[in-house]
Amino acid sequence: MDEALVKYLKQSATYKISSQILRVLSNFISMLGKIVHLSFRMLKCMFQGGVTRKELIYQCDRFGVSSLPITLSIVGMTSIIVASQVALEMVKQGGGNFVGMLMTILIVREVGAIMSGFAITSMIGSSLASELATMRVTEQIDAIDVLGVDSIGYLFVPRVLSGIIMMPIIVIIASIFGVLLGALTAKMFAGLTYIAYFDSAWLGLFMKDLWVSLLKSSVFGGTIALISCSCGFYASGGAKGVGIATTNAVVWSFISIVVWDMIFAIIFFF
Amino acid sequence: MSIEVRNLVKKFEDKTVINDISFKVDDGEVLAIVGFSGSGKSTVLKLICGLIPYDSGEVITSEGDIAMVFQYSALFDSLNVFDNISFALRERKDLRKKYSKSDLQEIVAQKLELVGLKGIENKFPSELSGGMQKRVSFARAIVTKPNSILYDEPTAGLDPMSSTLIEDYIVRLRNETNAASIVVTHQMSTITRTADRVIMLYDGKIVFEGTPTELLKQDNPYTKQFVTASLEGPMKMQA
Repeated sequence: MDEALVKYLKQSATYKISSQILRVLSNFISMLGKIVHLSFRMLKCMFQGGVTRKELIYQCDRFGVSSLPITLSIVGMTSIIVASQVALEMVKQGGGNFVGMLMTILIVREVGAIMSGFAITSMIGSSLASELATMRVTEQIDAIDVLGVDSIGYLFVPRVLSGIIMMPIIVIIASIFGVLLGALTAKMFAGLTYIAYFDSAWLGLFMKDLWVSLLKSSVFGGTIALISCSCGFYASGGAKGVGIATTNAVVWSFISIVVWDMIFAIIFFF
Repeated sequence: MSIEVRNLVKKFEDKTVINDISFKVDDGEVLAIVGFSGSGKSTVLKLICGLIPYDSGEVITSEGDIAMVFQYSALFDSLNVFDNISFALRERKDLRKKYSKSDLQEIVAQKLELVGLKGIENKFPSELSGGMQKRVSFARAIVTKPNSILYDEPTAGLDPMSSTLIEDYIVRLRNETNAASIVVTHQMSTITRTADRVIMLYDGKIVFEGTPTELLKQDNPYTKQFVTASLEGPMKMQA
Protein backbone atom coordinates (compact mmCIF):
# COMPACT_ATOMS: atom_id res chain seq x y z
CA MET A 1 0.00 0.00 0.00
CA ASP A 2 1.14 3.53 -0.67
CA GLU A 3 3.14 4.90 2.28
CA ALA A 4 1.41 8.24 2.19
CA LEU A 5 -1.97 6.52 2.31
CA VAL A 6 -0.89 4.40 5.30
CA LYS A 7 0.30 7.55 7.08
CA TYR A 8 -2.97 9.29 6.27
CA LEU A 9 -5.04 6.33 7.50
CA LYS A 10 -3.04 6.16 10.72
CA GLN A 11 -4.06 9.69 11.51
CA SER A 12 -7.77 8.92 11.18
CA ALA A 13 -10.00 8.76 14.25
CA THR A 14 -11.19 5.26 13.24
CA TYR A 15 -7.62 3.93 13.28
CA LYS A 16 -6.81 5.60 16.59
CA ILE A 17 -9.98 4.36 18.29
CA SER A 18 -9.70 0.81 16.94
CA SER A 19 -6.00 0.57 17.82
CA GLN A 20 -6.78 1.81 21.33
CA ILE A 21 -9.54 -0.83 21.69
CA LEU A 22 -7.18 -3.52 20.41
CA ARG A 23 -4.50 -2.44 22.87
CA VAL A 24 -6.97 -2.57 25.79
CA LEU A 25 -8.18 -6.00 24.63
CA SER A 26 -4.65 -7.28 24.24
CA ASN A 27 -3.71 -6.01 27.73
CA PHE A 28 -6.85 -7.60 29.14
CA ILE A 29 -6.12 -11.00 27.57
CA SER A 30 -2.49 -10.84 28.66
CA MET A 31 -3.48 -9.91 32.24
CA LEU A 32 -6.15 -12.61 32.30
CA GLY A 33 -3.53 -15.20 31.32
CA LYS A 34 -1.20 -13.98 34.07
CA ILE A 35 -4.00 -14.07 36.65
CA VAL A 36 -4.93 -17.64 35.70
CA HIS A 37 -1.26 -18.66 35.93
CA LEU A 38 -0.91 -16.98 39.33
CA SER A 39 -4.13 -18.62 40.55
CA PHE A 40 -2.74 -22.08 39.85
CA ARG A 41 0.54 -21.24 41.56
CA MET A 42 -1.40 -19.83 44.50
CA LEU A 43 -3.57 -22.93 44.79
CA LYS A 44 -0.44 -25.08 44.79
CA CYS A 45 1.04 -22.99 47.61
CA MET A 46 -2.25 -23.09 49.50
CA PHE A 47 -2.39 -26.88 49.46
CA GLN A 48 1.26 -27.12 50.44
CA GLY A 49 0.52 -25.11 53.58
CA GLY A 50 2.22 -21.96 52.39
CA VAL A 51 0.40 -19.56 54.71
CA THR A 52 1.21 -18.55 58.26
CA ARG A 53 -1.65 -17.96 60.69
CA LYS A 54 -0.23 -14.62 61.86
CA GLU A 55 -0.15 -13.18 58.34
CA LEU A 56 -3.65 -14.51 57.56
CA ILE A 57 -5.08 -12.89 60.70
CA TYR A 58 -3.33 -9.61 59.87
CA GLN A 59 -4.75 -9.60 56.33
CA CYS A 60 -8.25 -10.56 57.57
CA ASP A 61 -8.13 -7.62 59.97
CA ARG A 62 -7.01 -5.33 57.16
CA PHE A 63 -9.61 -6.64 54.69
CA GLY A 64 -12.56 -6.82 57.04
CA VAL A 65 -12.20 -4.59 60.06
CA SER A 66 -10.46 -1.57 58.56
CA SER A 67 -12.77 -1.45 55.55
CA LEU A 68 -16.01 -1.83 57.52
CA PRO A 69 -16.74 1.88 58.16
CA ILE A 70 -16.54 2.84 54.48
CA THR A 71 -18.49 -0.26 53.41
CA LEU A 72 -21.25 0.44 55.93
CA SER A 73 -21.37 4.09 54.82
CA ILE A 74 -21.76 3.21 51.14
CA VAL A 75 -24.30 0.39 51.62
CA GLY A 76 -26.15 2.45 54.23
CA MET A 77 -26.38 5.55 52.05
CA THR A 78 -27.49 3.51 49.04
CA SER A 79 -30.25 1.97 51.17
CA ILE A 80 -31.37 5.41 52.36
CA ILE A 81 -31.46 6.72 48.77
CA VAL A 82 -33.46 3.71 47.50
CA ALA A 83 -35.86 3.66 50.45
CA SER A 84 -36.49 7.41 50.26
CA GLN A 85 -37.31 7.12 46.54
CA VAL A 86 -39.45 3.99 46.80
CA ALA A 87 -41.25 4.02 50.16
CA LEU A 88 -43.43 7.12 49.67
CA GLU A 89 -44.48 6.08 46.15
CA MET A 90 -45.36 2.56 47.25
CA VAL A 91 -47.36 3.80 50.24
CA LYS A 92 -49.22 6.20 47.91
CA GLN A 93 -50.04 3.34 45.54
CA GLY A 94 -51.20 1.10 48.39
CA GLY A 95 -48.16 -1.10 48.36
CA GLY A 96 -46.74 0.07 51.68
CA ASN A 97 -46.85 -3.46 53.05
CA PHE A 98 -44.27 -4.55 50.48
CA VAL A 99 -41.62 -1.89 51.06
CA GLY A 100 -39.75 -4.09 53.54
CA MET A 101 -39.82 -7.03 51.14
CA LEU A 102 -38.56 -4.95 48.23
CA MET A 103 -35.75 -3.39 50.25
CA THR A 104 -34.65 -6.71 51.74
CA ILE A 105 -34.58 -8.53 48.41
CA LEU A 106 -32.75 -5.66 46.79
CA ILE A 107 -30.15 -5.38 49.54
CA VAL A 108 -29.60 -9.10 50.12
CA ARG A 109 -29.51 -10.05 46.45
CA GLU A 110 -27.67 -7.08 44.96
CA VAL A 111 -26.91 -3.88 46.86
CA GLY A 112 -25.14 -5.48 49.83
CA ALA A 113 -22.68 -7.49 47.76
CA ILE A 114 -22.19 -5.08 44.85
CA MET A 115 -21.75 -1.91 46.91
CA SER A 116 -19.52 -3.70 49.41
CA GLY A 117 -17.49 -4.97 46.45
CA PHE A 118 -17.06 -1.46 45.11
CA ALA A 119 -16.15 -0.11 48.56
CA ILE A 120 -13.64 -2.90 49.16
CA THR A 121 -12.13 -2.44 45.69
CA SER A 122 -11.60 1.27 46.18
CA MET A 123 -10.18 0.87 49.65
CA ILE A 124 -8.49 -2.53 49.93
CA GLY A 125 -7.96 -3.43 46.26
CA SER A 126 -6.12 -0.21 45.51
CA SER A 127 -4.08 -0.60 48.68
CA LEU A 128 -3.11 -4.21 47.83
CA ALA A 129 -2.13 -3.26 44.28
CA SER A 130 -0.03 -0.26 45.29
CA GLU A 131 1.61 -2.22 48.11
CA LEU A 132 2.71 -5.08 45.85
CA ALA A 133 3.63 -2.72 43.01
CA THR A 134 5.88 -0.73 45.34
CA MET A 135 7.43 -3.96 46.57
CA ARG A 136 8.02 -4.98 42.94
CA VAL A 137 9.66 -1.74 41.81
CA THR A 138 11.84 -1.56 44.94
CA GLU A 139 12.97 -5.19 44.38
CA GLN A 140 11.39 -6.39 47.64
CA ILE A 141 9.56 -9.19 45.78
CA ASP A 142 12.86 -10.23 44.17
CA ALA A 143 14.39 -10.26 47.66
CA ILE A 144 11.62 -12.61 48.90
CA ASP A 145 12.37 -15.02 46.04
CA VAL A 146 16.14 -14.86 46.51
CA LEU A 147 15.71 -15.64 50.21
CA GLY A 148 14.06 -18.90 49.15
CA VAL A 149 10.50 -17.93 50.13
CA ASP A 150 7.79 -18.39 47.48
CA SER A 151 6.57 -14.84 46.84
CA ILE A 152 3.20 -16.11 45.57
CA GLY A 153 2.66 -18.14 48.71
CA TYR A 154 3.81 -15.33 50.99
CA LEU A 155 2.01 -12.44 49.29
CA PHE A 156 -1.00 -13.89 47.50
CA VAL A 157 -2.30 -16.72 49.66
CA PRO A 158 -3.07 -14.75 52.87
CA ARG A 159 -4.48 -11.79 50.92
CA VAL A 160 -6.75 -13.82 48.65
CA LEU A 161 -7.84 -16.11 51.49
CA SER A 162 -8.68 -13.10 53.64
CA GLY A 163 -10.82 -11.76 50.77
CA ILE A 164 -12.68 -15.07 50.46
CA ILE A 165 -13.22 -15.34 54.22
CA MET A 166 -13.96 -11.73 55.18
CA MET A 167 -16.10 -10.52 52.30
CA PRO A 168 -19.21 -12.60 53.24
CA ILE A 169 -18.92 -11.35 56.83
CA ILE A 170 -18.72 -7.76 55.61
CA VAL A 171 -21.69 -8.30 53.30
CA ILE A 172 -23.81 -9.82 56.11
CA ILE A 173 -23.10 -6.87 58.40
CA ALA A 174 -23.59 -4.32 55.60
CA SER A 175 -26.85 -5.96 54.48
CA ILE A 176 -28.31 -5.97 58.00
CA PHE A 177 -27.25 -2.33 58.35
CA GLY A 178 -28.84 -1.50 54.99
CA VAL A 179 -32.16 -3.21 55.85
CA LEU A 180 -32.31 -1.38 59.21
CA LEU A 181 -31.56 1.98 57.61
CA GLY A 182 -34.23 1.17 55.00
CA ALA A 183 -36.77 0.72 57.83
CA LEU A 184 -35.72 3.98 59.45
CA THR A 185 -35.92 5.86 56.13
CA ALA A 186 -39.34 4.34 55.26
CA LYS A 187 -40.65 5.49 58.64
CA MET A 188 -39.20 8.99 58.26
CA PHE A 189 -40.21 9.56 54.62
CA ALA A 190 -43.46 7.57 54.32
CA GLY A 191 -44.57 7.09 57.91
CA LEU A 192 -44.35 3.32 57.50
CA THR A 193 -44.30 1.48 60.83
CA TYR A 194 -41.40 -0.80 61.71
CA ILE A 195 -43.86 -3.69 62.19
CA ALA A 196 -45.24 -3.25 58.65
CA TYR A 197 -41.71 -3.03 57.24
CA PHE A 198 -40.29 -6.07 59.01
CA ASP A 199 -43.44 -8.17 58.56
CA SER A 200 -43.01 -7.98 54.80
CA ALA A 201 -39.22 -8.09 54.92
CA TRP A 202 -39.24 -11.88 55.31
CA LEU A 203 -41.92 -12.52 52.68
CA GLY A 204 -39.79 -12.48 49.56
CA LEU A 205 -36.59 -13.74 51.11
CA PHE A 206 -35.56 -17.37 50.80
CA MET A 207 -32.54 -19.35 52.00
CA LYS A 208 -31.36 -19.46 48.41
CA ASP A 209 -31.05 -15.65 48.40
CA LEU A 210 -28.86 -15.79 51.49
CA TRP A 211 -26.46 -18.48 50.38
CA VAL A 212 -26.19 -17.10 46.85
CA SER A 213 -25.35 -13.72 48.38
CA LEU A 214 -22.70 -15.28 50.61
CA LEU A 215 -21.19 -17.34 47.79
CA LYS A 216 -21.20 -14.30 45.52
CA SER A 217 -19.50 -12.13 48.11
CA SER A 218 -16.83 -14.78 48.67
CA VAL A 219 -16.16 -14.84 44.93
CA PHE A 220 -16.09 -11.02 44.85
CA GLY A 221 -13.62 -10.90 47.76
CA GLY A 222 -11.31 -13.48 46.23
CA THR A 223 -11.49 -11.82 42.81
CA ILE A 224 -10.74 -8.32 44.14
CA ALA A 225 -7.75 -9.59 46.10
CA LEU A 226 -6.46 -11.77 43.25
CA ILE A 227 -6.77 -9.06 40.58
CA SER A 228 -5.29 -6.36 42.83
CA CYS A 229 -2.35 -8.53 43.89
CA SER A 230 -1.72 -9.62 40.28
CA CYS A 231 -1.74 -6.03 38.96
CA GLY A 232 0.73 -5.04 41.69
CA PHE A 233 2.87 -8.15 41.20
CA TYR A 234 3.40 -7.43 37.51
CA ALA A 235 4.04 -3.70 37.93
CA SER A 236 7.14 -2.18 36.37
CA GLY A 237 8.70 1.20 35.81
CA GLY A 238 8.87 3.08 39.11
CA ALA A 239 6.27 5.49 40.47
CA LYS A 240 4.37 5.62 37.19
CA GLY A 241 4.18 1.81 37.16
CA VAL A 242 2.71 1.82 40.69
CA GLY A 243 0.03 4.28 39.53
CA ILE A 244 -0.80 2.23 36.45
CA ALA A 245 -1.01 -0.98 38.49
CA THR A 246 -3.35 0.62 41.02
CA THR A 247 -5.61 2.05 38.31
CA ASN A 248 -5.70 -1.31 36.49
CA ALA A 249 -6.53 -3.11 39.73
CA VAL A 250 -9.49 -0.84 40.46
CA VAL A 251 -10.80 -0.86 36.87
CA TRP A 252 -10.50 -4.64 36.39
CA SER A 253 -11.95 -5.34 39.83
CA PHE A 254 -14.99 -3.13 39.14
CA ILE A 255 -15.53 -4.80 35.78
CA SER A 256 -15.08 -8.30 37.18
CA ILE A 257 -17.55 -7.63 40.02
CA VAL A 258 -20.22 -6.66 37.52
CA VAL A 259 -19.40 -9.61 35.27
CA TRP A 260 -19.53 -12.06 38.21
CA ASP A 261 -22.81 -10.51 39.35
CA MET A 262 -24.27 -11.03 35.91
CA ILE A 263 -23.07 -14.66 35.86
CA PHE A 264 -24.63 -15.29 39.29
CA ALA A 265 -27.91 -13.65 38.22
CA ILE A 266 -28.06 -15.82 35.09
CA ILE A 267 -27.18 -19.05 36.91
CA PHE A 268 -29.35 -18.65 40.02
CA PHE A 269 -32.24 -16.34 39.18
CA PHE A 270 -33.15 -16.95 35.54
CA MET B 1 34.06 -24.29 42.29
CA SER B 2 31.03 -22.57 43.68
CA ILE B 3 29.59 -20.63 40.74
CA GLU B 4 30.20 -21.50 37.11
CA VAL B 5 28.54 -19.76 34.19
CA ARG B 6 28.81 -21.43 30.77
CA ASN B 7 27.87 -19.82 27.47
CA LEU B 8 25.08 -17.78 29.01
CA VAL B 9 22.75 -15.96 26.61
CA LYS B 10 19.85 -13.69 27.51
CA LYS B 11 17.67 -11.75 25.12
CA PHE B 12 14.98 -9.21 25.89
CA GLU B 13 12.71 -9.30 22.85
CA ASP B 14 15.17 -8.82 19.96
CA LYS B 15 18.02 -7.33 21.97
CA THR B 16 20.75 -9.68 23.18
CA VAL B 17 21.82 -8.30 26.57
CA ILE B 18 24.06 -11.20 27.58
CA ASN B 19 25.88 -12.76 24.69
CA ASP B 20 27.61 -16.08 25.33
CA ILE B 21 29.58 -15.33 28.48
CA SER B 22 31.43 -17.88 30.65
CA PHE B 23 33.29 -17.51 33.94
CA LYS B 24 33.95 -19.26 37.26
CA VAL B 25 34.11 -18.10 40.86
CA ASP B 26 35.74 -20.31 43.47
CA ASP B 27 34.85 -20.59 47.16
CA GLY B 28 36.29 -17.68 49.10
CA GLU B 29 36.94 -15.69 45.93
CA VAL B 30 35.50 -12.26 45.11
CA LEU B 31 34.87 -11.57 41.43
CA ALA B 32 34.02 -8.04 40.38
CA ILE B 33 31.87 -7.56 37.29
CA VAL B 34 32.43 -4.08 35.93
CA GLY B 35 31.25 -2.08 32.99
CA PHE B 36 29.29 1.00 32.09
CA SER B 37 25.60 1.34 32.92
CA GLY B 38 23.45 -0.85 30.70
CA SER B 39 26.24 -3.34 29.94
CA GLY B 40 24.26 -6.22 31.49
CA LYS B 41 26.05 -6.51 34.86
CA SER B 42 22.94 -6.67 37.06
CA THR B 43 21.25 -8.98 34.55
CA VAL B 44 24.07 -11.51 35.06
CA LEU B 45 23.36 -11.55 38.82
CA LYS B 46 19.62 -11.99 38.26
CA LEU B 47 20.31 -14.87 35.86
CA ILE B 48 22.61 -16.56 38.38
CA CYS B 49 20.14 -16.40 41.25
CA GLY B 50 17.21 -17.40 39.04
CA LEU B 51 15.20 -14.18 39.19
CA ILE B 52 15.01 -14.14 35.41
CA PRO B 53 15.34 -17.17 33.12
CA TYR B 54 18.17 -17.39 30.59
CA ASP B 55 17.68 -18.34 26.96
CA SER B 56 20.64 -20.71 26.66
CA GLY B 57 23.77 -21.76 28.50
CA GLU B 58 24.24 -23.07 32.02
CA VAL B 59 24.59 -21.75 35.56
CA ILE B 60 26.15 -24.33 37.85
CA THR B 61 26.33 -23.65 41.57
CA SER B 62 27.41 -25.92 44.35
CA GLU B 63 24.65 -27.05 46.73
CA GLY B 64 23.39 -24.47 49.19
CA ASP B 65 21.85 -21.05 49.14
CA ILE B 66 22.67 -18.10 46.94
CA ALA B 67 22.21 -14.75 48.65
CA MET B 68 21.88 -11.39 46.99
CA VAL B 69 22.43 -7.88 48.30
CA PHE B 70 20.34 -5.52 46.19
CA GLN B 71 21.40 -2.13 44.87
CA TYR B 72 18.89 -0.23 47.02
CA SER B 73 18.95 -2.78 49.86
CA ALA B 74 15.36 -3.99 49.13
CA LEU B 75 14.59 -4.26 52.84
CA PHE B 76 10.93 -4.98 53.61
CA ASP B 77 9.79 -1.55 54.71
CA SER B 78 6.76 -2.83 56.64
CA LEU B 79 8.95 -5.07 58.80
CA ASN B 80 11.48 -4.04 61.46
CA VAL B 81 15.14 -5.01 61.33
CA PHE B 82 14.59 -8.18 63.37
CA ASP B 83 11.80 -9.39 61.08
CA ASN B 84 13.82 -8.46 57.99
CA ILE B 85 16.87 -10.43 59.04
CA SER B 86 14.95 -13.43 60.37
CA PHE B 87 12.54 -13.42 57.38
CA ALA B 88 13.94 -16.48 55.61
CA LEU B 89 14.22 -18.45 58.85
CA ARG B 90 10.58 -17.69 59.73
CA GLU B 91 8.97 -18.02 56.31
CA ARG B 92 10.90 -20.70 54.43
CA LYS B 93 9.11 -24.02 54.56
CA ASP B 94 12.30 -25.98 55.23
CA LEU B 95 13.43 -23.67 58.04
CA ARG B 96 10.13 -22.46 59.54
CA LYS B 97 9.93 -24.90 62.43
CA LYS B 98 13.66 -25.25 62.99
CA TYR B 99 14.21 -22.16 65.10
CA SER B 100 12.53 -20.99 68.30
CA LYS B 101 11.94 -17.32 69.04
CA SER B 102 15.03 -17.22 71.29
CA ASP B 103 17.14 -18.91 68.57
CA LEU B 104 16.02 -16.26 66.11
CA GLN B 105 16.86 -13.47 68.54
CA GLU B 106 20.32 -14.93 69.05
CA ILE B 107 20.98 -15.39 65.33
CA VAL B 108 19.78 -11.89 64.45
CA ALA B 109 21.91 -10.37 67.23
CA GLN B 110 24.96 -12.29 65.91
CA LYS B 111 24.43 -11.13 62.34
CA LEU B 112 23.87 -7.53 63.40
CA GLU B 113 27.07 -7.64 65.45
CA LEU B 114 28.91 -8.97 62.41
CA VAL B 115 27.87 -5.91 60.39
CA GLY B 116 28.51 -3.52 63.28
CA LEU B 117 24.91 -2.64 64.05
CA LYS B 118 24.24 -4.16 67.45
CA GLY B 119 20.90 -3.40 69.13
CA ILE B 120 18.85 -2.00 66.25
CA GLU B 121 16.43 -4.95 66.01
CA ASN B 122 13.32 -2.84 66.63
CA LYS B 123 14.08 -0.07 64.16
CA PHE B 124 12.33 0.12 60.80
CA PRO B 125 14.28 0.57 57.52
CA SER B 126 12.98 4.15 57.17
CA GLU B 127 14.74 5.03 60.44
CA LEU B 128 18.15 3.93 59.11
CA SER B 129 20.69 5.70 56.89
CA GLY B 130 21.51 4.32 53.43
CA GLY B 131 24.74 2.73 54.68
CA MET B 132 22.98 1.13 57.66
CA GLN B 133 20.24 -0.23 55.40
CA LYS B 134 22.89 -1.76 53.19
CA ARG B 135 24.54 -3.43 56.20
CA VAL B 136 21.18 -4.77 57.41
CA SER B 137 20.67 -6.23 53.93
CA PHE B 138 24.12 -7.90 54.29
CA ALA B 139 22.96 -9.42 57.58
CA ARG B 140 19.71 -10.59 55.97
CA ALA B 141 21.62 -12.13 53.06
CA ILE B 142 23.96 -14.22 55.21
CA VAL B 143 21.38 -15.44 57.71
CA THR B 144 20.89 -18.72 55.82
CA LYS B 145 24.66 -19.32 55.59
CA PRO B 146 24.83 -19.08 51.79
CA ASN B 147 27.57 -20.62 49.66
CA SER B 148 27.48 -17.72 47.24
CA ILE B 149 26.81 -14.01 47.78
CA LEU B 150 25.94 -11.65 44.95
CA TYR B 151 26.27 -7.89 45.49
CA ASP B 152 24.49 -5.57 43.08
CA GLU B 153 26.30 -2.20 43.17
CA PRO B 154 26.76 -2.35 46.95
CA THR B 155 28.32 1.11 47.24
CA ALA B 156 26.07 2.97 44.82
CA GLY B 157 24.72 6.19 46.28
CA LEU B 158 26.83 6.05 49.44
CA ASP B 159 29.32 8.65 50.67
CA PRO B 160 33.03 7.69 50.42
CA MET B 161 33.36 6.70 54.09
CA SER B 162 30.23 4.53 54.01
CA SER B 163 31.52 2.97 50.77
CA THR B 164 34.80 2.09 52.47
CA LEU B 165 32.90 0.56 55.37
CA ILE B 166 30.73 -1.51 53.01
CA GLU B 167 33.82 -2.65 51.08
CA ASP B 168 35.41 -3.76 54.36
CA TYR B 169 32.29 -5.76 55.19
CA ILE B 170 32.33 -7.48 51.79
CA VAL B 171 35.87 -8.67 52.53
CA ARG B 172 34.95 -9.56 56.11
CA LEU B 173 31.91 -11.60 55.02
CA ARG B 174 34.05 -13.41 52.47
CA ASN B 175 36.54 -14.28 55.21
CA GLU B 176 33.82 -15.32 57.70
CA THR B 177 31.68 -17.38 55.31
CA ASN B 178 34.20 -18.49 52.66
CA ALA B 179 31.42 -17.86 50.16
CA ALA B 180 32.01 -17.31 46.46
CA SER B 181 31.16 -13.66 45.93
CA ILE B 182 30.32 -11.62 42.86
CA VAL B 183 30.32 -7.85 43.17
CA VAL B 184 28.74 -5.83 40.40
CA THR B 185 30.12 -2.33 40.50
CA HIS B 186 31.55 0.53 38.51
CA GLN B 187 33.38 2.13 41.41
CA MET B 188 37.15 1.79 41.24
CA SER B 189 37.55 1.76 45.06
CA THR B 190 35.16 -1.20 45.36
CA ILE B 191 37.08 -3.08 42.66
CA THR B 192 40.52 -2.50 44.13
CA ARG B 193 39.53 -3.02 47.77
CA THR B 194 37.34 -6.12 47.43
CA ALA B 195 38.01 -8.08 44.25
CA ASP B 196 40.44 -10.91 43.57
CA ARG B 197 39.52 -10.96 39.89
CA VAL B 198 37.66 -8.66 37.54
CA ILE B 199 35.67 -9.19 34.37
CA MET B 200 34.47 -6.31 32.25
CA LEU B 201 31.26 -6.47 30.26
CA TYR B 202 30.43 -4.44 27.21
CA ASP B 203 27.49 -5.02 24.91
CA GLY B 204 26.71 -8.30 26.69
CA LYS B 205 30.20 -9.77 26.16
CA ILE B 206 33.29 -10.14 28.35
CA VAL B 207 35.92 -7.74 26.98
CA PHE B 208 38.45 -8.11 29.81
CA GLU B 209 39.29 -10.69 32.47
CA GLY B 210 42.12 -10.30 34.96
CA THR B 211 43.16 -9.01 38.35
CA PRO B 212 42.43 -5.47 39.62
CA THR B 213 46.12 -4.65 39.06
CA GLU B 214 45.88 -5.77 35.43
CA LEU B 215 42.73 -3.64 35.05
CA LEU B 216 44.60 -0.59 36.29
CA LYS B 217 47.48 -1.20 33.84
CA GLN B 218 45.11 -0.20 31.03
CA ASP B 219 46.74 -2.57 28.49
CA ASN B 220 43.37 -3.16 26.88
CA PRO B 221 41.48 -0.35 25.06
CA TYR B 222 38.35 -1.21 27.03
CA THR B 223 40.06 -1.10 30.44
CA LYS B 224 41.88 2.08 29.43
CA GLN B 225 38.60 3.79 28.57
CA PHE B 226 36.92 2.48 31.75
CA VAL B 227 39.72 3.48 34.12
CA THR B 228 40.19 6.91 32.59
CA ALA B 229 36.40 7.37 32.27
CA SER B 230 36.98 8.62 28.74
CA LEU B 231 34.24 9.13 26.18
CA GLU B 232 36.77 8.24 23.46
CA GLY B 233 37.31 4.52 22.92
CA PRO B 234 35.68 1.31 21.76
CA MET B 235 32.75 1.58 24.19
CA LYS B 236 30.01 3.89 22.99
CA MET B 237 27.63 5.41 25.49
CA GLN B 238 24.02 5.80 24.48
CA ALA B 239 23.07 9.48 24.29
